Amino acid sequence: MLSSLQPPRTLSRFPSKPIYLFRKTSLKPLSSQPITNSTLTDQSQSQTHSQILSIRHSLLCGQLTATQLVESFLTRLRQTEPHLRSFLHVSDTVLRQANELDEKIKRNEEVGPLAGVLVGVKDNICTAGMPSTGGSRILEGYQPPFDATAVRKIKELGGIVVGKTNLDEFGMGSTTEGSAFQVTANPWDVSRVPGGSSGGSAAAVSARQCVVSLGSDTGGSVRQPASFCGVVGLKPTYGRVSRFGLMAYASSLDVIGCFGSSVEDAGILLQAISGHDKLDATSSKQEVPDFTSQFISLNLLESKPLKGLRIGLIRETLDDGVDSGVNSAIRGAASHLEELGCSVSEVSLPSFSLGLPAYYILASSESSSNLSRYDGVRYGNQVTADELNALYGDSRAKGFGHEVKMRILMGTYALSAGYYDAYYKRAQQVRTIIQKSFKAALDEHDILISPAAPSAAYKIGEKKNDPLAMYAGDIMTVNVNLAGLPALVLPCGFVDGGSAGLPVGLQMIGAPFDEEKLLKVGHVFEQTLQNCRFVPPIITDDVAS
Amino acid sequence: MGGRALILVKGLPLPKHHIFTDFSCNSSSAKLLRLRRNNNSWGRRNFSTWATNGSSLEPPDVPRLAETARISLAPHEVEEFAPKIRQVIDWFGQLQAVDLQSVEPAIRADTQGDNFRDDVPETFENREAIIAAVPNYEEPYVKVPKILNKE
Repeated sequence: MLSSLQPPRTLSRFPSKPIYLFRKTSLKPLSSQPITNSTLTDQSQSQTHSQILSIRHSLLCGQLTATQLVESFLTRLRQTEPHLRSFLHVSDTVLRQANELDEKIKRNEEVGPLAGVLVGVKDNICTAGMPSTGGSRILEGYQPPFDATAVRKIKELGGIVVGKTNLDEFGMGSTTEGSAFQVTANPWDVSRVPGGSSGGSAAAVSARQCVVSLGSDTGGSVRQPASFCGVVGLKPTYGRVSRFGLMAYASSLDVIGCFGSSVEDAGILLQAISGHDKLDATSSKQEVPDFTSQFISLNLLESKPLKGLRIGLIRETLDDGVDSGVNSAIRGAASHLEELGCSVSEVSLPSFSLGLPAYYILASSESSSNLSRYDGVRYGNQVTADELNALYGDSRAKGFGHEVKMRILMGTYALSAGYYDAYYKRAQQVRTIIQKSFKAALDEHDILISPAAPSAAYKIGEKKNDPLAMYAGDIMTVNVNLAGLPALVLPCGFVDGGSAGLPVGLQMIGAPFDEEKLLKVGHVFEQTLQNCRFVPPIITDDVAS
Repeated sequence: MGGRALILVKGLPLPKHHIFTDFSCNSSSAKLLRLRRNNNSWGRRNFSTWATNGSSLEPPDVPRLAETARISLAPHEVEEFAPKIRQVIDWFGQLQAVDLQSVEPAIRADTQGDNFRDDVPETFENREAIIAAVPNYEEPYVKVPKILNKE
């Protein structure tokens, strides 16, 4: 039985620390094995551990073959997918790749740090020879001839792409209801949205359908679904990760981000995909530090491990309009940080509320330009027409969904002659003010904290027909994109809802290229958080039944 | 039906036959095509009003925007989109009240970037796959319908 395997306590490649192999029920196939007392004892540990390190460890010690491992994930994926619909496409070569890895291990060949790690990839990130639709009918059936740089790097390190995850069409939305193909459900309560736009990637990691996943974050599309699904979501600094192969929505804001079930996994994934890329001129040449070397295991922590760290709680993010349960979870998280030795004070960002309209002007404007490439001529779906403009107009009318059309039209308006100064330019000026106010706040504080969303996950359909209500939900996250800063979201508590409560995420915002500090602080926070296990009922219920 | 009438007036060849042969397998395409033509006439009519009203902040003219963005909208879509777009544009308007005198616009995040590579063309190694994705291709051309109209 998988859960009875006890790995040795050290592993050469990574810092030594106790590793609880298959501590979570999540790593076991659903229902195929009865839950035991020993597994329950293991689960009672509230600490969250890296699944990536556990996998590497068990593969290299020969306690588990890649085939067994992959089969356990695929079994769970098959069982949960009819309820969740996180994936638009599941690869049929996963088992073959696992088999090849087993052969390699048998031959004692070196395997990469992501060997055997199943990675979900948001469907607006290109994967060679695998469908990449961006959640849009206009690209239905399209298979790119290249991998996005982030995907290429993951594959080079041994990661296995398990499939393409659902999203709001081209990333435009906050619920994943805007996908042209299906609505994804939240693993904590399948009547609720997983958030968006990277809802499929967040739900897949939350339900342990894969180990980690890639998302994209233009205005919060990694962080808000991470909060809704109770997983860790990391939005890197603009320029840290190459955007090559990411279908452009708003190029001045887009970044590829990471999901994991632990801070460590999100950090390992970021390590894998970071760095300059000659195929993306906006990718930075800034040195990439070793994000994974700084994770201190719980038993080595001092009593005040974060002593001297200055935390700023953004006052404007706890105003009216924020759910009271979210408010108290964030204040609880702030107290927890104080107990860890941080000094926490409130900080005001007066321009905070201006970020929302500025963001939507910039994002819509840039999308109206970026999405002009989908004309049905060079790739994607083409409608037969007797004249070229009709071919463009009809292919786009048929291929794009409601929200995408709306944003293109709004962007076209904001960029029209005579309106540019009133909208696009003003929004860019607001961006300058927001960048300056963040800089001032981060000169006084090491990290700023806020909720990742004003509420926990809401019901499917609740905000679908009210664009402004939907946009308002992005207030916690869009400013960070305007300033290009890195931010980490990690689960910090619960509010009432569903059968087991609904998770709430804490957002930590850092200075440019200081992901290292966010990951370090996030890891200490996660390791010391008591009485919280962020494993959704869709897994635990099924295992128990 | 209005759409077909419009096409006939314009004297395009065999509109009825054309529509019902090419699009009979997909009635929604046929409908889109008809409606698009309706739209364009509506768009142009409104455009004249738009242009004479000068450059003060006018509410969005959705048919005109759709034409500019090359998205054929059906009249019922125009009716559906117009109030929503107007609502969002009004909400954008709150930035007009902010004092932004002497604030420089930021074109993107103030992080590093602009690491341009040398401007040397490179051949993409998987050229065949790119061409295979073109919906309508006749070596060595990407094929599209006629570009110039008689009008």
